[in-house]
Amino acid sequence: MTFVYLLVFGFAATAVLGLITSWIDRKVTARVQYRVGPPFLQPFIDIVKLLGKETVIPEGASKVTFLIAPVIGISGVIAVATLFWVNQFFSEGFVGDWIVAIYLLAIPSLSIILGGFASRNPLASLGSSREMKLVIAYELPFILAALVPVIAAGGSIRLSDIINAQAGGVFAGNISGILALIVAIMCVQAKLALVPFDIPEAETEIVGGALLEYSGPGLAIFRLMKNMLFFTLPFFLIILFFGGLRLNGINILWTILEYVGIVAIITVIRNTNPRVRIDQAVRFFWGPMTLLAVAAVVLALKGL
Amino acid sequence: MSFNLIIDALKNPNGFFASNPLSLLCAAFATLFFVLIVVYSLKHMKGRKGVWRYYIYTIATYVSSLGVLFAANFLILLIFWGLLGLLLYLLIAFGRKEGTPATARKALIIVGATDVLLLFGIVLVWKITAGSSGLQGLFHMPITGMGIPLSGTASIIAYLCFASAAFAKAGAMPFHTWVPDTAENAPTPVTAFLPASLDKLLGIYLLARVTLDVFQMTPTMNTILMAIGSITIVAAVMMALIQHDLKRLLGYHAVSQVGYMVLGIGTGNPIGIAGGLFHMFNHSIYKSCLFLAGGAAERKAGTGNLAQMGGLVKAIPLVFVTFLIASLAISGVPPMNGFASKWLIYQGVITSGDSLWVLWLIAAMLGSALTLASFMKLIHAVFLGQPSEGVKKILADKKGKRTALSTAIPLVVLSTLCVGIGVFAWKIPFGQLFRPELSGPVDSPGIWQSGTATLMLIAGLVIGYLIYLAGTLKKARVVAPFVGGETLEDNPDMRVSGVNFYMTIKELGLLKGIYRWAEKKLFDLYVVAGKIFAGFGILFSFMHNGILSRYFLWFIVGLVVLCIVLI
Repeated sequence: MTFVYLLVFGFAATAVLGLITSWIDRKVTARVQYRVGPPFLQPFIDIVKLLGKETVIPEGASKVTFLIAPVIGISGVIAVATLFWVNQFFSEGFVGDWIVAIYLLAIPSLSIILGGFASRNPLASLGSSREMKLVIAYELPFILAALVPVIAAGGSIRLSDIINAQAGGVFAGNISGILALIVAIMCVQAKLALVPFDIPEAETEIVGGALLEYSGPGLAIFRLMKNMLFFTLPFFLIILFFGGLRLNGINILWTILEYVGIVAIITVIRNTNPRVRIDQAVRFFWGPMTLLAVAAVVLALKGL
Repeated sequence: MSFNLIIDALKNPNGFFASNPLSLLCAAFATLFFVLIVVYSLKHMKGRKGVWRYYIYTIATYVSSLGVLFAANFLILLIFWGLLGLLLYLLIAFGRKEGTPATARKALIIVGATDVLLLFGIVLVWKITAGSSGLQGLFHMPITGMGIPLSGTASIIAYLCFASAAFAKAGAMPFHTWVPDTAENAPTPVTAFLPASLDKLLGIYLLARVTLDVFQMTPTMNTILMAIGSITIVAAVMMALIQHDLKRLLGYHAVSQVGYMVLGIGTGNPIGIAGGLFHMFNHSIYKSCLFLAGGAAERKAGTGNLAQMGGLVKAIPLVFVTFLIASLAISGVPPMNGFASKWLIYQGVITSGDSLWVLWLIAAMLGSALTLASFMKLIHAVFLGQPSEGVKKILADKKGKRTALSTAIPLVVLSTLCVGIGVFAWKIPFGQLFRPELSGPVDSPGIWQSGTATLMLIAGLVIGYLIYLAGTLKKARVVAPFVGGETLEDNPDMRVSGVNFYMTIKELGLLKGIYRWAEKKLFDLYVVAGKIFAGFGILFSFMHNGILSRYFLWFIVGLVVLCIVLI
């Protein structure tokens, strides 16, 4: 049964929804820039096109590490997406809890870093090191923000408990919840490496950074992984702050609104900001964002 | 006196030695590490001067550690504990680096000074519990079942004395400073055997026994332990981020990880303590694996300087794989063993009811991310990335591509354990293993089905592989890396070694000042105490300057003081 969940929901549904999300993102971006934007199937076509291209391996690179890195990343996303889907809809208490989710969500970043390091390209090395610094920068406010729902749910780290505790009212309705949600969205922006935090890729200075040497199927897997993350991370936020995907009656509309709302905020941020430097990003996350998250945690401990 | 004791011990071993499940488990691990270290040493220590002495000391260390683990009374524990400090000094001295003598001295002084504190603590406990039974009572005081409440000043001081000895042995702050130095200057197998595995087992074993069997913890003392643990985690890993030497960096992690164990024991609830003890075993596995693999890489490259390594994966692929597995384990990436124990500790912290639990949880979880960061730097600087000029020569030499069997066996065994214990963590009965240290059953509020999760991750890997198959993997072509149109080989200055990856963090606002102080060794208790004593020395040398008139002055002053006192 686990494998059915994994294949149907963890992989297929997440991939489709992720590709749709990426289409929404591209379409909105295009409209912001007075362009028409891509047709609905374009993200899917992109992946298929990449699968048809040849694989290029940089000379002197560690071949196995280079090729296996994208696979590790996508397996992490599939696992964490399955975890969310099953805990939400099928069986409570499946495989892991809040801590497991946070740790599994670090695997995609880890795979990008390993892939960049393995490609024996100085620019990719730089990109990967920036990704790593970005991870340690946003991890502090992200954990704090994600802790707010745990506190609000009475200290339970089970995802099902966090969802059930919001049956009467979502955590985003509290002051602490709103503050934490703002911090979490900024962290998700960095987790997805979108402008203004696209420092690890930074096409205009380090030519794509960690992904510079990837082509063909390897790049396709990384792309797919990022698109799946684009669905999985907002899903995580909805579980934490909006009581999960609710598919009964009028709540369907709310769920869609919440999801599209989060994606829209992320897209708008990415279209209205210039890229920051890595030290500015670290300062931003360890400074104001952490203070905001601490304020949210203190308010949550006070029961607000 | 001591002769009589030995006779007594032979007549009645139960009065002197006893075992419990935890000490048996520790002894099993100690035996495993002892065997693996000896195997590894066959190649690594070959051809050094007086190598037979090295083996004798190693065996003596192993026997002494068994003595500590099975000691039934405090006196036996103290004897073997002191012996271990001396053996540590002798073993470090086998290093061949410039700083070795100073390092050995530093380790001896820190460990020896805390041995004195241990003796002091034992005497205090004797005074509190059995002060009337005379000296004979001191020699026969059993370790178990005391339950001294931490209410009076004497009992608190006694507990702190025991804790200091445990911290110095395990390498927790503020007695940690000998660990990074030892890691840098001692031979690799010594570091992997003592600070990385055996000393952790013994230090945390003592802390657990003292905390749970001898004293009754109070919430305040638990908070102090958790604070020490959290500070150790974050401060040591921040230092690790900026290191330039492979084994010194690993040494700082050996300090940082102790923080998790202290934190787990400080939570005071069964799940946290089980997590702390479990982490102790996990840590000794992956950390000795990291040291042994790091030592193999250092031996291959001929240097431990991270700036002069890189690209070694081509020369020693097996070492790279084991190093990668162990570094994922230490960073707590699921489903490795490090994650399983950290997960238990986090739950212990969440359910501890301490008013500052958020702070401790954040310190521990952030510490985990920082650990990953510094290991990514290591992996880039040592194994991946662009090879240095020195490594290029090694890569060109076809003969150097084999890993010796005596190096490979310990690495493979340890990294297999990292994965195996992690995957089967849900099958481990902590309640039975760590009895009687745990007062209640270990029921976790969270969920971690490591077996299913591993199957899911493997399924994900298969899906990824199938996507590759759907593509055109067969047509793979090897071309030169793209560096904006330049050729990498013609531009050696384009090489990124990775040493300065975290310069951004080092030069960030407040951290800049703290790092500068740390580099001046202002947080090193040994150096600070040394400076204070040197200050006294200057004072005394000022008095003893060999000038007759100055001595005559002291004579007069002394006479005046005497007269005042006598009259």
